[in-house]
Amino acid sequence: MTARARPGASARRRRTATAVRVLPALLLVCLALAGPWLTPHPVDTPVTGPYAPPGAGTPLGGDQLGRDVLSRLLAGGRELVVSSLVVALLVTGGAAVLGAVGALRPAVGRLVERTADLLMLLPAVLGILLVTLSWPDGGRLAVIAAAVGLGVPYAVRLAVSAAAPVAASGYVEAAAAGGERLWHLVVRDVLPNLRATLLALFGLRFVAAVYVVATAGFLQVGPQPPAADWALMIRENGAGILLDPWAVLAPSAAIGLLAMSVNLAAAALAPRTGREAVTAR
Amino acid sequence: MSHRPGRDRDWTTGLPDAPAARVTGLTVTSAAGRHLVREAGLTLRPGRLVALTGPSGSGKTTLLRALTGLLPPGTARTAGHVEVLGHDVLALPQRELRALRRDRLAHVGQDPASGLNPWMRVDSLVRELAADRSTDPVALLDEVRLPDGARLSGRRPGALSGGQQRRVALARALARRPDVLLLDEPTAGLHPGLRDEIGDLLQHLAREHRLAIAFSCHDAGLVGRIADDVVRLGAAVPHRPVTAAGRPPAPPGAGATGATGADGMAGTAAAADTTDTFDTAGASGAAGTAGTASKTSTASTTGTSDTANTTGVPLLAVRDVSVTFGRGAAPVLRDVGLAVAPGTAVGVVGASGCGKTTLARVVVGLQAVTAGSIALDGVPLRPGPRGRAREQRRRVQLVTQNPLGALNPSRTVGDTVGRPLRLHRRRPARQVPARVTELLEQVGLDPEYAGRYPHELSGGQRQRVAVARALAAEPDVLICDEITSALDGGTAEAIMDLLGGLRARHGPALVLISHDLPLVADRTDTVTVLDAGRVVESGRTADVFTAPAHPATAALLSRAVTGR
Repeated sequence: MTARARPGASARRRRTATAVRVLPALLLVCLALAGPWLTPHPVDTPVTGPYAPPGAGTPLGGDQLGRDVLSRLLAGGRELVVSSLVVALLVTGGAAVLGAVGALRPAVGRLVERTADLLMLLPAVLGILLVTLSWPDGGRLAVIAAAVGLGVPYAVRLAVSAAAPVAASGYVEAAAAGGERLWHLVVRDVLPNLRATLLALFGLRFVAAVYVVATAGFLQVGPQPPAADWALMIRENGAGILLDPWAVLAPSAAIGLLAMSVNLAAAALAPRTGREAVTAR
Repeated sequence: MSHRPGRDRDWTTGLPDAPAARVTGLTVTSAAGRHLVREAGLTLRPGRLVALTGPSGSGKTTLLRALTGLLPPGTARTAGHVEVLGHDVLALPQRELRALRRDRLAHVGQDPASGLNPWMRVDSLVRELAADRSTDPVALLDEVRLPDGARLSGRRPGALSGGQQRRVALARALARRPDVLLLDEPTAGLHPGLRDEIGDLLQHLAREHRLAIAFSCHDAGLVGRIADDVVRLGAAVPHRPVTAAGRPPAPPGAGATGATGADGMAGTAAAADTTDTFDTAGASGAAGTAGTASKTSTASTTGTSDTANTTGVPLLAVRDVSVTFGRGAAPVLRDVGLAVAPGTAVGVVGASGCGKTTLARVVVGLQAVTAGSIALDGVPLRPGPRGRAREQRRRVQLVTQNPLGALNPSRTVGDTVGRPLRLHRRRPARQVPARVTELLEQVGLDPEYAGRYPHELSGGQRQRVAVARALAAEPDVLICDEITSALDGGTAEAIMDLLGGLRARHGPALVLISHDLPLVADRTDTVTVLDAGRVVESGRTADVFTAPAHPATAALLSRAVTGR
């Protein structure tokens, strides 16, 4: 009588909704990765006038040297996306393991938290400069190292508090009393039940990583001209923003959209029902 | 307890007998398309107590949740109506549903601890929802038969026993003076005397305050005594014979054979042996257990003193263990001793809150001790799980009181039960699935359950999975902490018969922690009585129960007798 949608149909609809929310991030990341092969013009030779407004062949106009903005936009995302994804993965993974171990072994947990408290005092820009200047040949690796070092302390505090109730739950106690090793407790009992938290954390850390990597690019400690890079484009073309606004707006929008879409995807992938339900004690 | 006057009760003014809630033809389906509740009907009237019974997994919890308008996530109503106080709760806008739940409806779940904020003190927990903020929490605690309310009201839920938490949750529900009270297994985990008191309280609330009460329960005796109407839910999924709906606990022979079935383990002969002793004991009450004890030649020779004085080395020996939570607090356990000889069954009994669970946690190493020692086969065990060898941990297994948190929600039942087999190399990898099937059948679960996740199982089914997991490790000592409190009578008997049968076949020695004295009387050789963290009496079960030397034992016994 008041039959709602059949369960099969509702499950299918839920899957569709998830796919729709994951799609933008997937498209953007793929586009940024494949971008360098799709450029209509070479990224390092002028094809039009400096700060030329959009015209035939150059839909987003030219930059300060007359290079095609669209081509540079397509080519300039790969490194940023790859670095940010690597940073977000390392930060989330590292924090998850440290957090789970910290929750299971209170002595380790106290040490981890106090260390994180100390590292958090370091301002981000200072941290980047410290690492990149003391490791001048590091390039991207130095930026990634700095971003990971800056991100883990924040993430680990969150991971420890999220893991604490799981570590106190009946099934972790049962596994510990049953003879499981610490590593098994972390990987099989604690982390799978933190999926929702960790995915949300991944989204947040990705945004933070984009921010740190872009800051590095803007400060020119990462990629150097004439390389195409979104952050570098914003810096280089700032002077001509009134002549060809697209040269600044397009890379800015790309960075913003990337951050938002990855967060949306992470939220969509987080489990909502049933299995993540954790009963403490 | 005075009920709020001047309440808008349109449903009572005109028609005194108008139903407070009515469920018709309700079918709830999980995301996977299984029916959790099928064609269920139910009518609640003010002043009447309705009991929901049925085997575990028959949808009692889901039906109660449907009445609150909140179905478990991932499930949907596919047919039928749920009407509470004149509203269709499953179609009510969020705002009104919230108002309804806040003011008129109270629901106490199966796991009372999960509904209590661990950081709030008991008095704030009770007062938080009170209709009248000046309510004295201690009076409310008294009302739910929690004496010592004044002492407990400053504690946090973590410092309460399972039974105390349950009563605090009930007090919390009553504090807001609801019109409809929904209780999921309100008496699970309470000893028989208390179970009856809570039953009387419910009856009183229904009669005097015109509350409409629905409660799920698997205690047939209690249901028969206090319920006005009984709604029996059928099994939603095909079950093994042992869990068949409504099988009275009377013929234990049938239960035993059903439990062990034709699965080749725990032979039927062994099960029949325990059945035999059950009959003896059942026929002549506690005195009959003398026969049980003498018949089991392996009975431990623990004397009446609290520390063991066995002739040989006991399998498990706990000596003078004291446990204190926090500095300066009163100890939860004080100089407690326990000895378990190989192949025997030992009972630990005591009123709710006397430290039974803490003792179990000490033995498996989950709780650090302030003083005392634990030895397995004469080898001292470290007082924490980390210092213990894996083999030592395998040999002592615990099945906890609360089955809801005991299973990893991210792993299938088969994975959970199979893990000890792999971890302790009990079976070669190829034989693990077959052994898992065998274990699930032993505890009365369909082998098909191996592919399911814990959230798809009812409380009783989860408890059986926890038992199967403990058995998978093939322990030498199996500690059962109130394991039957979440099971219906028939299943509880079958599980106990299974464990008894295994023990008789050189299986694990049993430590049965319970407040169900008949259960302990029938199935144990020796018994230790705890009271307020101390051992007040211990010795052969028959001796202790026929001639209790301590008033606490006598009190427990008298309650058990009147409770039945």
